[in-house]
Amino acid sequence: MPEYWIGDAEGRVLGPVSLDVVQDLVNTGRLTEITRVSRDGRNWGTPAGFPEVMTLLVNAPAPDALLQAERQEAARVREQLRAMQGRPPHEIFRLDRNASVDAYRNAFFKLVKRFYPDRVRAQAHPDLRKAYADAFQFLSRLMVHIEKELSSGGPVSPLPVVRAVPRPPLGEDEPLTPIPAPPPQTARPLTVVPRSMTPLPRPSPLVPPAPDGPYSYQPHEFVGFERREDRVEVTIRVTARNSRMFTDHPLANLKTDGFFLACAKSLPLGTLVDVIFRFDEERREVRSRGRVILENTGGDPHKPAGFGVRFITLVDQDRRFMQQFVEKAAH
Amino acid sequence: MSDGPILIVDDDAFVRTLLCEMLADQGHPLREAENGQEALDLEGPPPRVVLLDLFMPEMSGMEALVLIRNRWPRTPVLVISSMDSERLVDEALAAGASGYITKPFHPMEIASAVERALTA
Repeated sequence: MPEYWIGDAEGRVLGPVSLDVVQDLVNTGRLTEITRVSRDGRNWGTPAGFPEVMTLLVNAPAPDALLQAERQEAARVREQLRAMQGRPPHEIFRLDRNASVDAYRNAFFKLVKRFYPDRVRAQAHPDLRKAYADAFQFLSRLMVHIEKELSSGGPVSPLPVVRAVPRPPLGEDEPLTPIPAPPPQTARPLTVVPRSMTPLPRPSPLVPPAPDGPYSYQPHEFVGFERREDRVEVTIRVTARNSRMFTDHPLANLKTDGFFLACAKSLPLGTLVDVIFRFDEERREVRSRGRVILENTGGDPHKPAGFGVRFITLVDQDRRFMQQFVEKAAH
Repeated sequence: MSDGPILIVDDDAFVRTLLCEMLADQGHPLREAENGQEALDLEGPPPRVVLLDLFMPEMSGMEALVLIRNRWPRTPVLVISSMDSERLVDEALAAGASGYITKPFHPMEIASAVERALTA
């Protein structure tokens, strides 16, 4: 089988993989930029030197074709969701009627990720976005229901249908929403006032689920990274009091190249953020770009609402200044 | 079962930190490596499980996978990747991976996959 190594602009390498895999990744938008190619992992060239790879890149689906395919995919997902509603959970997950909670969880994770909202590209057809969100929500509610039923020792019953997905009239299985204009490429300013920081708890225990309540399976509890084209500008006034935004969160802190902003307004995972820190007491301003890597919209009462950002660009001089500021504030 | 650490191999420091957080409650020792070569240079007892990213600088995850399996044949390797191509999954499994977890992942999914690998 022909083997290929491919590299991206960040110096990362994938390989050896078959050309079929490269084709899969290009066609699904998982691989949008190939900067170098190799057949042995040692000798590299530009994609132009590999006609078979160039063919894949040139033949990657055009935007119109992608939208058309997304409309069709949305219709398929809606149909699949209708078929799932009301069916016994073990059939939905293709399990034995007496399957364990672990078996349900494994099957759930495999199935639900197909509909993870962030899998949809930023300019995707809105019907596909909605269809994915509906399917994700249905499966997440179903899994919570399963956890609850199994923890109480009972058999797993179908999830009561709260709102069935209506079947469109014949011949009208078409997109219901107009395709929006592409999002603006300019940054939108957002000035946020950090809340006073309270000590943050460590992340909740992972296994097993708490006996007094089933696990939750909301999108923000999944961790992943997707590239988006829109970005937001955030201006933050930093004082000694709120400098704990750089230290208190176990995952988003200055040591992990980030910060956690506890505030009422959250930003979706993956959002590109241009951050301006205003250290008024020091008469200094630090500018950086980062990406939202953690989000708590307030659904989890044990965690502060807000969002965590990891820096993409932060110059060493600014980093040192911020570290010194944080250390000074701690004393 | 080896008494070595769970080894997390990912070039992304945040992902490594995150996985450490997710696995901390299981009580196993944890080690991190930034790339495949650093993983292979690890001294001490063989890791009990390896969590391996596929798309990394220096040495690709697929190459690292083969070398890790050669060095520690009894150590299960779980591949973690955002590239959810079925063909890539097949090729990773054929190269010796014990499992394949696609991003995004749920904390419980990681913990459960590691437990399964440890008891297999």
